[in-house]
Amino acid sequence: MTPAPGHDHPRCTRRGLLTGGLAVGASLSLPGCAYIRDDAPTDTPPPPSAKAEIDGDLVYFNWADYLAPSVLKGFQKEYGVRVIESNYDSMEGMYAKLAAGNRYDIVFPIAKWVQRLRKEGKLRAIEPDELQNADQVFYSGSYFNDPWYDEGSQVSVPFTVYKTGIGWRTDKVSSMTGSWEDLWNEEARGRVFTLDDQDEALAMAALLLGYDVNTSKPSELEEIKKLLISQKQYLRAYSSDDINNMVAGDAWVHHMWSGDFLYLRQGLAEDPDAFDFEAPREGVPINSDAYAIPTDAEHPGTAMVFIDYLLRPENAIKNMNYLYYPFPVRDALPAFAELADAVPACNVEVSDLENENVFRLLGSDEVQRRAAVWTEVKAS
Amino acid sequence: MVALGPAPAPRRSAQRTWLWGALLAVPTAWMVAFFVISMVIVVLLPFGRTTNDGFPVFSTSLDNYRALWNDVYLELFVRSVLYALATVVLSALIAYPTAYAIALHGGRYKNALIAAVVVPFFASYLIRMYAWKALLSDDGLVNSGLRGSGLGDGIAFLNTPWAVIGGLVYGFVVFMILPIYASLERLDVSLVEAGKDLYHGPVRTFFSVTLPATRYGLYGGALLVFLPALGDFVSAQLLGGAGTYMMGNLVQQQFNEGQNWPLGSAMTVGMMAALTALMVAYLRATSTQARET
Repeated sequence: MTPAPGHDHPRCTRRGLLTGGLAVGASLSLPGCAYIRDDAPTDTPPPPSAKAEIDGDLVYFNWADYLAPSVLKGFQKEYGVRVIESNYDSMEGMYAKLAAGNRYDIVFPIAKWVQRLRKEGKLRAIEPDELQNADQVFYSGSYFNDPWYDEGSQVSVPFTVYKTGIGWRTDKVSSMTGSWEDLWNEEARGRVFTLDDQDEALAMAALLLGYDVNTSKPSELEEIKKLLISQKQYLRAYSSDDINNMVAGDAWVHHMWSGDFLYLRQGLAEDPDAFDFEAPREGVPINSDAYAIPTDAEHPGTAMVFIDYLLRPENAIKNMNYLYYPFPVRDALPAFAELADAVPACNVEVSDLENENVFRLLGSDEVQRRAAVWTEVKAS
Repeated sequence: MVALGPAPAPRRSAQRTWLWGALLAVPTAWMVAFFVISMVIVVLLPFGRTTNDGFPVFSTSLDNYRALWNDVYLELFVRSVLYALATVVLSALIAYPTAYAIALHGGRYKNALIAAVVVPFFASYLIRMYAWKALLSDDGLVNSGLRGSGLGDGIAFLNTPWAVIGGLVYGFVVFMILPIYASLERLDVSLVEAGKDLYHGPVRTFFSVTLPATRYGLYGGALLVFLPALGDFVSAQLLGGAGTYMMGNLVQQQFNEGQNWPLGSAMTVGMMAALTALMVAYLRATSTQARET
C-alpha cells in the first residue's frame, strides 16, 4: 500500500523523529562505548568505487519513512533483490552504529556528517562514470561537482536540499514582516515555536544579529544567548515536531524546515491557504543530505545500482511528491517548482546553495561552547 | 506452652552448594559485564574530555565534576525534584483509591481489574506521550469536546508544567498502584472491623487503621514513581513548554547535540549521588520506624 500524497494521517516525519523519536536511539547506543578511542582520524583517500552491479540484497540505513515506498518497491521488483531496512533517529545515532562496526550498504548523511565520515575514512568512493544517471546531478557547472562538504564529490551523491524558515497561520497572524523577528511576533505571543535544534536555534539568532551561523566566538554567543532568552516570553515550546504542532493548532508561528512546511500545506492541511512560509531576508540556513556508501558495505555494487535508480528523474519526482523535499536532479527540478508553486519560498534554488549559511563541521570545543549557550537558553 | 526452638535447617550437601555457585556464575558474570563495568565507565568518563573530532576519551581532569556547581543546573535539579514530588503526590491520590477499590471491592474480578490497569503500560511510554499530545493539543479531542459542548474556548493544556507532570503521572502511576494493592491485599480485615467495633467512623478507621497498615506499600510506590520521574526527559520534551526543561533533558542534550559525553556522565553521577542520598535517608527512616513499631 502506497500512501499517496495527500494521505491524511499525520506522518512521523524524520525531522520530528530527530528529537521526537528522542535520544532513544542515542541512549541505546550508549552502552556500547565502542567508540571511546584515542586514535586520531585519518585523511587517507577513500577506497575505490564499486561497479554498479547487483551483488546481493541492499542493507539500507536511513531516517524512518524518508523515501517513497513505491520507489523502494520498484527497485526490489526491477532488480530482484530485497531492501533490508533499518532506521536511525539522529545523525549521532547513525554515526554510533557505523562506528560500532555495523555494516550497511547505503546511508543518507547530512552534509557535515559526510565531511566527518569521509575524514575518518568511513566512506567508499563513488565513481560517477559508473552511474548512468550521474549527469542528472553532476552536469557541467553543477554546484554538486565540488560541494563544500565533499571536495571533488568523491564519496557522496546529493539526495535532498532544504532550508529553514518560518511557517505561520494566515488566519491567526497578519503582521508578518519577512524577518527572523517574526519569531517575536506579538499577535502570536505564547504560540510561537522554535526548533528544538542547537544549530538551527543558534543560527536563527546569529542571522538576526548579522553573525556567521556557525559562530563560536564567546562574545557573539553571549549576545545570541541574550537574544534567545528574550524570545522565551513569546515562546510556547522548543520542538522539532513542526508539522504536528502546526496541524494540531498549537503553533501559529513556527520556525520550520521548508520540506516539512510544504508537506503540511499541500499534503495535510484542510485549508492550504491558512498556511504560509517565508525565508527571512537576513538569510536562511541551507542544508543538504547525500547518499553515501560505507567502506565496509557488503554489497556496494547493489548500493551503486540503487543510487543510479534514485537518480532517474521519474523516481526523483515520485520521492518529491512523497517527501516534499526538493531533489537536485536536473530533469526533476521543474516538477518541484510546480509542487512549490503556491509557496515559492519553499523552493531551494542553486543560488541558495551557494550562500554561506551552511552548518559546518566544528571542533569539539566549539560545539561544546555552543551547547553550553543552548543549554542555558533552554534551562533559563 | 512449650517453647519452640528454630527448626533445624536441612544441611546442604557440598554438591548442592557447588550447583548453586555454578548457577549464580552466569548472572553474576552478566551483571559484572553489563552493569558494573558500564557503571564504572560512567563514573570514570567525567575525568575525561572530548577530542577535537568528537570522541570521548578518558583522562584525569576534574573539570567536568567541577562544572556541576552551576546555578543553571541547580535550578533544573530543584525543578525536577518539584515535578517528581508533584508526580508522587498526584499518583498517590489516584493510585490509593484505585488499589483500594480493586483489593477490597474487586471480588472475583480482582485479577482482571489489575490486568486492566497493567496492560496499557505494555504500550511504549513514548507512544503514550504522543497519544496525550494528540489528545490535549489546542485542536485536539479534549478541546474540540469543550468547544463543541459550549464549555468555553478551549484550554491550552500542552506545553505547561502541568502537562509535564500529567505525563509523568500517566507514565508511572502503575508503579504506585501495584505495591499499594499488594499491601491492601495483605491487610488483615479484622483490624478494620476492630476499628469499627471501637466506634470509629469509616473515615477515622481508614486514617487510623487502614492507611498506617499499608504505609509501606505507599512508601515503596512513592519511591518507584519518584526515581524514574526525576530522571525522565520524554514527558518534558513532548508535553513541556519553553520553561519546563528537566535534568533528564539536560543529560540527554550532552550526549547528543552537545557532543559532551564526559559532562553528561558527570551530571548522571551527580544525579545518582543525590538520589542515593535520598534513598539512604528513606531506608534509615523506615528502618527506625520498623524498629519502633
